[in-house]
Amino acid sequence: MGILGDIKNAIFDGEENKIVELVKKALDEGQTASEIQDKGLVEGLRATGDAFERGEKFIPEMLLSSEAMKRAMVILKPLLVEGAGGGFGKAVLATVEGDVHDIGLELVGTMLETAGFEVRNMGADVPTEDIVEAVKEDKPHIVGLSALLSNTMDIMPDVIEALAVAGLRDSVKVMVGGAPVKQDFADEIGADGWAYDAASAVPKAKELRAQLSD
Amino acid sequence: MTYYMYSNTQEVTPYERMMGSLNGEKTDRVPVHFYPRWAALEYIGATFKQTWDDPDLYVKGQILAQERFQYDCVIDYDMMGPVEEAIGAKLKYPENDVPQIAEPLIKTKEDMKKGKWKLDPRKDGNMPKVLYVVRRLKEELIKRGRGTQHVPIMTWGSCPSRTVACLTGFKEWFLIVARDPDWAVELMELALDGWLQMVIAAWEAGADCVWVNDPVSSRDCISRDHYEKLTQPYERKFIEAIRRETGMNITMHPCGNWHDRLDLVYQNQADCYFLGPMDIELCTQKAVETNEKGLSRIKALNGGIGAATPDTTDGQTKCSYATTMKRGKPAEIEENGRVVIEAVENADLRCILGTNCWDVKGSSYANRDAMVYAARKYGQYQ
Repeated sequence: MGILGDIKNAIFDGEENKIVELVKKALDEGQTASEIQDKGLVEGLRATGDAFERGEKFIPEMLLSSEAMKRAMVILKPLLVEGAGGGFGKAVLATVEGDVHDIGLELVGTMLETAGFEVRNMGADVPTEDIVEAVKEDKPHIVGLSALLSNTMDIMPDVIEALAVAGLRDSVKVMVGGAPVKQDFADEIGADGWAYDAASAVPKAKELRAQLSD
Repeated sequence: MTYYMYSNTQEVTPYERMMGSLNGEKTDRVPVHFYPRWAALEYIGATFKQTWDDPDLYVKGQILAQERFQYDCVIDYDMMGPVEEAIGAKLKYPENDVPQIAEPLIKTKEDMKKGKWKLDPRKDGNMPKVLYVVRRLKEELIKRGRGTQHVPIMTWGSCPSRTVACLTGFKEWFLIVARDPDWAVELMELALDGWLQMVIAAWEAGADCVWVNDPVSSRDCISRDHYEKLTQPYERKFIEAIRRETGMNITMHPCGNWHDRLDLVYQNQADCYFLGPMDIELCTQKAVETNEKGLSRIKALNGGIGAATPDTTDGQTKCSYATTMKRGKPAEIEENGRVVIEAVENADLRCILGTNCWDVKGSSYANRDAMVYAARKYGQYQ
């Protein structure tokens, strides 16, 4: 199976203590940080997400995988950011008001940072007006909104509307995500993009960033 | 049966209708209860914070909105907060939302010592304010009913798993479930009594029935195994203690998608289940099955109409109608109501028509009216 397979499995199993040792070993064996991230960590996370979708894993297990990923990224991030060159663009991320879940948001933030985005992660339960204020202050290219609860996803169109009212809508691309959020919902509320998981959020953010002129 | 505009001139009062259904009895028609926090606030043009600062304004909103919309139950502040705050959590009070935890109280096992676990609802924190609202609702309803209380008051209690999640932070709670189940049990054991005392005090102040809520044990959150071994025993313990101490009818709200564990949650022995966004036919069928096996005592099912979202969060399970109070049209709400009433009543359970979570901000008056209209049109017992 090899070291990358071991890393993938350790993420899948939420082995917080084992992952650091495995990542160091992979680097010693000559794997690049990018390979470890893409073929080990992201694959493990994707498998975890698939198991979550199938109802085989739940939030506690997802969190353990996420914690393991974060520990691995402490080692890999300096190497990845160095390689990515940075300067890809700015992103403001938030879980909408009333929703205290930020697991997915943290993962998206980490993945975007390693892909070269400058990320302001506002965390969970962020009032709409604070998001608008952050967009005014930071002038990001991407605004990423997350919701895990079906009764908070309805806040997302309010944020988009608030950005429009503030005259900021045309200057940013809005991405939405979270367990109950799907492409049809994103289309319905006028979001610019939707991503299935943290890994697919990166190419989507890059695609949307490329659509903006500056 | 003749109906007039105002509930206190109806032949069957909302009180009789709602309490009858909670006891499994048929009165004149299906009652409506959709946990009308925002209906009331929006009707009187007040924010939640304004009514928190002025409890009499909250009471006014509940009374006037019930008279306007003609649903069958009023609620007290009905929120997370007073008990957790009295235990020691710091809350923030948004202008127009219910209080939220500003900072988790418990991050380590040592932090458990910081909590005040034995509470007196008549003295501690803002708990007396909730009791004041219950007392004032009672007085006002009796006054307006010319000596007879014509609308019941429902109070609220937080299941231990929810209380602990508020004290630790939701994310930390789920990590505790994964890493240290014994600690999870220890925390729930400690957390049970605060809300139990609050519910008992609310009953003494005049509450007629209670609903309890667990939003952290659905299949959106934890495994069936974790539910069965960790959090369900404390839900049941909480419900049984409320019944033992107060004798009130108890409604449980399994918030979210519980399709794979309906058989377990129904064994918590609530009289009524206020259903989250789930398949009403499946929920009804499972209720009948667990009742027939003697494992549950379900008299009524409440809910059925989308509050904010029509679908379950698994994105796969069918729902009766893809409509919601916030986005649907009145004709869709009415038709959705018909389907729910028929599904539940045909199984010889009582239907209490309502939304699948709290009534949400910004639902149209027309849709709230349509729900009551559906109960009148399709929910007649004669």
